[in-house]
Amino acid sequence: MSRLPSSGLVDRSRRLNFRFDGKSYHGFSGDTLASALLANQVRLVGRSFKYHRPRGILSAGPEEPNALVELRSGSRREPNTRATVAELYDGLDAASQNRWPSLALDALSLNGLVAPFLGAGFYYKTFMWPATFWESVYEPAIRRAAGLGRAATSADPDHYEKAFAFCDVLVIGAGPAGLMAALAAGRAGARVILADEDFLAGGRLNSEAVTVGGEPGHVFAAQAMAELASLPNVRIMTRTTVFGVYDDEYGAVERVSDHLPTPAPFQPRQRLWKIAARRAILCAGATERPIVFGGNDRPGVMLAGSSRSYANRYGVATGKSVACFTNNDSAWSSAFEMKAAGVNVTTLIDIRREVAPALAARAKALGIAVLTDTQVTGTSGQPIGGALTGLSLRTGGRSDRLAADTLAMSGGWSPSLHLTCHHGGKPVWNEGLAAFVPGRTPPGLSVAGAARGTYGLGDILAEGARQGTDAASALGFAAALPDLPATEDTPAGIAAFWHVQGSKGPAFVDQQNDVTAKDLGIAYKEGFRAVELMKRYTTLGMATDQGRTSNVNGLAIMAELTGASIMETGTTIFRPPYTPVSLGVLGGHHRAKDFRPTRLTPTHQWAASLGAVFVETGPWLRAQYFPKAGETDWLTTVNREVKAVRASVGLIDVSTFGKIDLQGPDVGAFLDRVYINTFSTLAVGKARYGVMLREDGLVMDDGTTARLAPEHYVMTTTTANAAKVFQHLEFCLQVLWPELDVTLASVSEQWAQIAIAGPRSRDVLARVVDAGVDVSNEGLPFMGAIERTVMGGVKARLFRLSFSGELGYEIAVPARQGEALARALMAAGEEFGITPYGIEALGVMRIEKGHVSGNELSGQTSAGDLGFGKMASTKKDYIGRVMAARPGIADPERLSFVGFKPVDPGQRLRAGAHFLTIGAPADMAHDQGYMTSVAHSPHLGHWIGLGLLKNGPARIGERVRAYDPVRGGDFEVEVCAPAFIDPNGERLRG
Amino acid sequence: MTAALDILPVTQMPADGPYGPAGTHGVTARLFDPPALATLAARRGGGIALAAAARVELGLDLADAPRLSRADGLSAIGTAPGRWLLLAGTEGDLAARLAPLAPHAAITEQTDAYVGVEIDGPHARDLLAKGVSLDLDPAAFPPGAAATTNVAHVNVSFWREPGEDRFVFLVARSYRVAFARFLVASGAEYGLELVHRG
Amino acid sequence: MRIPCPYCGARDASEFAYLGDATLTRPDPAAPDAADAFHAYVYLRDNPAGAHSEWWYHAGGCRRWVKVARDTTTHAIAGAELAEGAR
Repeated sequence: MSRLPSSGLVDRSRRLNFRFDGKSYHGFSGDTLASALLANQVRLVGRSFKYHRPRGILSAGPEEPNALVELRSGSRREPNTRATVAELYDGLDAASQNRWPSLALDALSLNGLVAPFLGAGFYYKTFMWPATFWESVYEPAIRRAAGLGRAATSADPDHYEKAFAFCDVLVIGAGPAGLMAALAAGRAGARVILADEDFLAGGRLNSEAVTVGGEPGHVFAAQAMAELASLPNVRIMTRTTVFGVYDDEYGAVERVSDHLPTPAPFQPRQRLWKIAARRAILCAGATERPIVFGGNDRPGVMLAGSSRSYANRYGVATGKSVACFTNNDSAWSSAFEMKAAGVNVTTLIDIRREVAPALAARAKALGIAVLTDTQVTGTSGQPIGGALTGLSLRTGGRSDRLAADTLAMSGGWSPSLHLTCHHGGKPVWNEGLAAFVPGRTPPGLSVAGAARGTYGLGDILAEGARQGTDAASALGFAAALPDLPATEDTPAGIAAFWHVQGSKGPAFVDQQNDVTAKDLGIAYKEGFRAVELMKRYTTLGMATDQGRTSNVNGLAIMAELTGASIMETGTTIFRPPYTPVSLGVLGGHHRAKDFRPTRLTPTHQWAASLGAVFVETGPWLRAQYFPKAGETDWLTTVNREVKAVRASVGLIDVSTFGKIDLQGPDVGAFLDRVYINTFSTLAVGKARYGVMLREDGLVMDDGTTARLAPEHYVMTTTTANAAKVFQHLEFCLQVLWPELDVTLASVSEQWAQIAIAGPRSRDVLARVVDAGVDVSNEGLPFMGAIERTVMGGVKARLFRLSFSGELGYEIAVPARQGEALARALMAAGEEFGITPYGIEALGVMRIEKGHVSGNELSGQTSAGDLGFGKMASTKKDYIGRVMAARPGIADPERLSFVGFKPVDPGQRLRAGAHFLTIGAPADMAHDQGYMTSVAHSPHLGHWIGLGLLKNGPARIGERVRAYDPVRGGDFEVEVCAPAFIDPNGERLRG
Repeated sequence: MTAALDILPVTQMPADGPYGPAGTHGVTARLFDPPALATLAARRGGGIALAAAARVELGLDLADAPRLSRADGLSAIGTAPGRWLLLAGTEGDLAARLAPLAPHAAITEQTDAYVGVEIDGPHARDLLAKGVSLDLDPAAFPPGAAATTNVAHVNVSFWREPGEDRFVFLVARSYRVAFARFLVASGAEYGLELVHRG
Repeated sequence: MRIPCPYCGARDASEFAYLGDATLTRPDPAAPDAADAFHAYVYLRDNPAGAHSEWWYHAGGCRRWVKVARDTTTHAIAGAELAEGAR
């Protein structure tokens, strides 16, 4: 164990057991998986992406590139989880990734020997090798060898959800700046949300041995949090990462249950928040940078601030013999604090010739050797697992060796300014800080503390307090600057330094993607010098850590190569999300059957009780067919249903059609402008079929519209276009013709509508209407539309319409009466063998009758194409009229609507087959059109089709080839009129 | 956990009863059929005359805003400029009651178009935050405030009842199961009691 | 993005359907150059970087057409008003 005797904020009274790679260990409440592994002296935690090099823990936070593990097992297995932010829980089970057969002995570490072939641009160069080799040889081999963790192979059993939150001031990060900002705004009465990705608020106050307001930093943080928790206008969200700045809102993930073995009953694992905040203050702190030198990826080489964090927050010594390597003062503080906590810090190695005398004096007092003007040029390690054992040093021209099992390094700090870039702001290089600081920030967002490049603790507290006050004041709250707690100064001197020249062994810039300084040299030589090109060519800065620890070093090295300044070289742009976000949480509860809402028809339960098979049509579930006992395939059932309708009578729920109420003195004039045909002349009590175009002259939708009263019409639309047509009509009324006095109301939900069809449909209707309602051919003629009552006083709209080609009616009743109507019709039709039918049979009958439907209303067909040319009025303007007259739309050579029957009646037609003139080659140049709809016609006893054929109506009687290479169809069909049954409509009118 | 939804068919209304950890009760959702409901839409240029007629004939101050107006058991919920949903507290001939407004407005029967859902309890707002993209803080959405919006892909109109911390939703009838599934998925955490009223 | 609907208040953009340029006027169909004018009206669009006046339909709310002044480069919304026939 390397747990220090007393330090740390973990609760040593709460012991937690966990497993890593099958071995059992224990840690404490308050540990991360990483701190618990280090406490158990587990240093080797993974293998690298490409070369399978042994890797340890680099950091103590979300920037971790190496310590990625598979967390949990089975269907909850989550790959690429950062051990440094995985909160330890009792029973945690984790496994290392990307190793075989075991972590310590990895066969594929031989990849390191072929490293010259896997270097920069490897993917691009590989693609240039013979394509056949790629699929058969290289890709499978690479997939086996490279990569990160394994996803679970079964569905995630946990629940995820989404939620909305609103606040005046969103404070992102609960470190010293964030706490002060939240206190200032919260005390002023503003609605504040304070979000922090850690499970323990406080940020650096938990990791550094500082005094704030006379208390240890972590005590100050806890007191501030207690005050914030007591304010009713402040909402604290820990374990919550604000990952993106969007337009007027912020995206955040709350990890509700990730710190538990399984979520508590009815709790989600994670929750996605959309936070609408009037102001936001980014207090995300800063990330320490490594230094690039040979062998810098050994387990045991880590960030100095992280090593300090393990000592102060977790009470863990990261090694028995710790050396520090740095170019800046913060690592000296880290060394001093670790030493004070009981860590054996032996040596401070600084590249600078001079350091502040106070630092040198303090090192001497603590017994830490100091080597200035010194660089680490190489490392040595254990033969198995590779953990660090010693360092090669260079002081001036002199070389030396130093034994160490931990090297705590610091190349300076990079402000965590990622969110400031989400609206296109570019970071600005600050020479004095040797860091990028925020440039233009998103509207309403300001930056305080280390995220802004302010590193002194006193300055950070003041900046947070000031910005919290300013944000609240700007929103009209009477905010007073809080008293600033006293604190000590934290030294932050730095000399920019990136890369140890002439060091031994691969010097890694990006440890997650195995990108070395040499790879950057290759990219430079091959011309991929712009940062965005360099990133994509070398993969530097990609994957889960998005280059937290590597970006600045990478572009600084490129700047050295090109001789440009770092500002000129620039940085890649940070885009959302800030840290990986699971797809599950983006979906929330909308998965599987809840992916989108399901709409149920008014007769759903009735149809279900009859054994209907349902099909999704858009959001609706509609009865597809009603199989009877003994019917083994759908075609048998559908044939029976069609025959029953044509011979006697059947019924179907057609409630899914869009229904729009139109009222007002100008409805007739309005309809004349949206339909190609005329509705102002329609008699009260009558319905008419109408076709409406888009303004580009192509057909938008069709349907029947009835006139119920002089100033009251009701329109039906197709099921699919209901919302689109309503939106279009509102556009016409609100934008194009505001002078028309017409009001619309959707009545799709109010009315259940059932169609009855077949020669006995009138007999059935007569039995459900109330006494005195005349449904004879005179009382309710073809295309009649009347309001009466049925079933003893139930309001009803009766329409004599037909989609099937048979005598038919549609009966609309209030939605709650729909099921009763279905049952009443079944009872009334019993003696005629009334047959419920589904949309398959409806489709067959409309194809037999030659009606167009969704397949023909494809958005590519004109009224003329579909045979509606004669319907178009020439006496008025209407939407689409001018554009429909374009030569291209009026061209008779266009694909036009006709019917098809197979020359060999045994052939099965297929929708999607293309037409070719017989003898013509089967290529696009000779394409003559395509089949849109097919059905097996029980009436004719063979397959029939509808389709669009060049100059179709002029070619009736001609034979063409129906070519369907996808499904192997290639045979002759005869062009015919689209109506296969009752072409003169005698059945409808009888 | 998804189990709360997994065991419920998407084609049937979830049964009355508690959803969530035993012994918890944070939200109640009461489903009801509106006794009578209609849309009222002012004729072009008829808004002022309509408001006057509503005042005289019904004693109702029609606010031309997303707000609730109520008089004599009749609730008017503003859904768009010059448009309201009129909900009667008891069954009866709403059309006859509204007939005096007909010269100034289009009146459309909608009694069967919606189901009602009353939601209250200490966690009502926590549940609603999972689907309603509006700020429901009393300062931003006070009693009597109304809105038409999408909740979990379902279009709804709702308002906050005056005097009680209760929200009332009108949900298109064909979407009622989908909306109830949203309530179960989002409310089980707090203990949801689902009740069919009347 | 939240769009300030003049009737409903600020709402999530997902409640709206986008149409586009709100400066266009439907041409006179009886004019001698109607064919050309309609061609321009239906197909020809500027694609301004910056200020843009555009139609959004509040499908999930009041079902009114709203003319929104939006900067296409920043998504900042300077104002929104109801269509004439929506008031």
